[in-house]
Parts: sequence; structure tokens; C-alpha cells
Amino acid sequence: MDTPATTPDLPDPGRSEGGGQDPAGLLALVARGDHAAFETVYDQFAGPVYGLVRKVLRDPAQSEEVAQEVLLEVWRTASRFDPVRGSASSWVMTIAHRRAVDRVRSESAATAREQRLTPGPVAGDDVAELVETALDRQRVRRCLGALTSLQAESVKLAYYAGYTYPQVAKLLGVPLGTIKTRIRDGLIRLRDCMEVT
Amino acid sequence: MVASHELHLLTGGYAIDALPDDERAEFEKHLGRCPSCAEEVRGLRETAARLALATAITPPPQMRARVLAAAPRTRQLPPAGRVQLTARGLRRLPLSRTGLTGGILALAAALVFLLVTNFATTQRLHQAQASSRSVASVLAAPDARVESLAAAGGGTVTAVVSLRQQEAVVTSAALPALPASQVYQLWVMTSAGAARSAGLLTVSSSGTAEPALAGGVAPGDRLGITVEPSGGTAQPTTTPVMVMPVSA
Repeated sequence: MDTPATTPDLPDPGRSEGGGQDPAGLLALVARGDHAAFETVYDQFAGPVYGLVRKVLRDPAQSEEVAQEVLLEVWRTASRFDPVRGSASSWVMTIAHRRAVDRVRSESAATAREQRLTPGPVAGDDVAELVETALDRQRVRRCLGALTSLQAESVKLAYYAGYTYPQVAKLLGVPLGTIKTRIRDGLIRLRDCMEVT
Repeated sequence: MVASHELHLLTGGYAIDALPDDERAEFEKHLGRCPSCAEEVRGLRETAARLALATAITPPPQMRARVLAAAPRTRQLPPAGRVQLTARGLRRLPLSRTGLTGGILALAAALVFLLVTNFATTQRLHQAQASSRSVASVLAAPDARVESLAAAGGGTVTAVVSLRQQEAVVTSAALPALPASQVYQLWVMTSAGAARSAGLLTVSSSGTAEPALAGGVAPGDRLGITVEPSGGTAQPTTTPVMVMPVSA
């Protein structure tokens, strides 16, 4: 069911401009209520938003619900996007991640997650979930591979699984302070590796 | 209270939503007065966005129609106006203890109301609530003491200090305007001579500073304000325009 999707353009010299429409400019149009611009924004971001939310929540139905909320939030709050304070991708994905972890950390979701720990039939789209946009995925994998294993584990558990750092510390059996610094060091090394400005 | 250098280590956890709620609130309070932390968070969020883009998968097809249909029925937020936390209320506070509590509570309530009504995105709301809660809690502290001093270049600086909470809220009246290249910076100076930045003052054209919160204030410390190059400095580089002792 799930197939690799294209991802939005980033201000990254290594990538072509694809659709050619700058996401930050589109968000400015969305802020003025431009529906056509919102459609384009949807097409650029629905894949990463759904992918990230799904990665954190796992459950397809819940993920769809949260992803819809996130994309509507983009419509609703587009006027608050400030290009000076970061890229459009960063703004949208910050909203998506926050919404996903809020859902994970709410009690009902915690129960649902525990229930999912019981083994069930492996759905075909669990495999497809792993099929990610080749370029981004390759770069991320390469950069994650350059971290120490503790850094990589900490970042992955915190970001992709939505755990708090005390939860990560507990899972890995490592002191709190260590995880705190490993998450930061890991992200800083990723930043430098991916040449994020 | 977590030391400032330790708070700085939380940039990573904050950028990827990995802080427990209480630490998140504390870090957001710190973020408002730590430009280097804010810059680091910005960069790390860009990094996290790359991690997110790598997870892209095609969403269920019915989602598109649903979202696009819901948008026209969803009211959009207007652009954010800058929240003006006027310090007028503070300036008018009587310096006697009588009547002080009422005024402080009213001001605290007004601050919270202002923030809640003016901020709309959750993120900014959290940040504002965290900071207004701290300001309000100093103002409402049973041991809160108000001190006022004239600044060297003109104007008055007023501080509300709660030693129990080890915090001070600082504001000003009629501080001289500075050129765009300069800012007023607030410091907590210990008796041993060390100075710790408590952030930059946001001063209106009338010389009124938005209430600024200084943490880790102990008896014998002094609150100081210096004029620094815009963006602030790690240590004071000029003679303070005002030094206010914090007495026990």
C-alpha cells in the first residue's frame, strides 16, 4: 500500500529544485488563504509528515488521523511560519513530530502501543514502511553510521520512537546525563555530516 | 534549579521533543534569554527535519481529499503580533508593603491573561506560559521585595526580588534609547566578582523594559545593567549604568 514518496525540496545544493516551488514562498501564500498553494504544500509534505508520524506511532489509523491534524495545522498556522527562524521543512516537521509524540505520551496511546506489542500478523505495509525516499534515506543512513552506536541509538529512540531522554536512558541502561549529552552530540555530528546550515 | 551550562546541554533533547514536560518548561524559560541556545536549537531542528524527510511514504489516498476539504472550513490564524508586556504596572507599584500584594497579583493575572490571549501556536504558548508563570511567581512570592534605583544615564530601574525563589524580575522606566547597534544587558554579579548574564532587556521607545527574569539570585549578589553591542556579550564590557545590591 505504501510506496516511496517524493520529498520536498530543501535548500540543499546537492538536490535539484524538483517542482521548482519554494516551500517558504508557498507557505506565505497559504497564510493568505491560497488554496492552490495549500494543495502544493500538501503534495510536498504529506509524504514526510505521514511517514514520520507513522514511524513514531506505528498504528496506521492513528497515524492517518494525526497526519491530517498536522497538515491542517500547517494551513491554520501558516501565518506564524517565519523563514528567518528556519526552513519550511523544519517548521512542518517540528509540528508533525510534536503532534506525534504528544499522541504517544497521552495515556490512551500508551495503552494502544502496549497492545500492539503483542505479536500479530505482519502487514504488508510494514515492509513498505521501510522503503523510504532513496536519497534522503541514504544520506541519513550514512550520517547515522558515522555516529558512535550510543549516539545513534539515543537519537533514533528519541526521534523515531518518540521516547523522552529519561526513557531512552532506561531502555539503554545508561545514566541520564550521558544520554542527554549523547543526543546533543549525536545531533550536532549529524548536522555537520548533513551540512545543515 | 539546573545550572545554566547544564541547561545548554538540553538543546538536543529539546529540538527533538525528548524532554519531559517539566524540563521542557524550564528549558523554554532559559531559551528566551540564551540566543546561542536558540540558534543551536534552530540548527538541530533542521537536522531533525532531514531525519524526518527520510521516512517519507505515500499517505493513504483518501487523506488528501479529506485535508483539502477541511482547509476551507478551518479558520486561519492571523499573523502573530508582538506581545507587549508593558511594565507600566510594575512602575506604578507602591514601594510600601501595604497594597503591594494586591497590585502584584493583579499584574500577574494581567500578564498571564495577556500571554494566553495573544499567543496562539502551542509552542509559543508553552514558552510564554513558562516565562509568565515564572515572572508571576516572583511577583506573588510572599517574600517579594521591590527596589528602585536611578540609572547613571537617566531613567529608573525597578526590581522585584524573591530570595526564597532566588529570582528577580527587573524592569525600567525612561531608560535612554540606544542606537540599533547596542542593547541593555542584565547581569547577576556575585560577591566574588563573577558576572552571569540574565539576558537582554527589551526596552520600548519610552525606555520601559519588558519584565526580565534573573535566576540564581542570592543574598550579597548585585543586579547590574550594562550597555553592550547588539546580541549581548558573555561578560560585561562596559561600566554598568546601574548596580543594585540584593540584600538578605
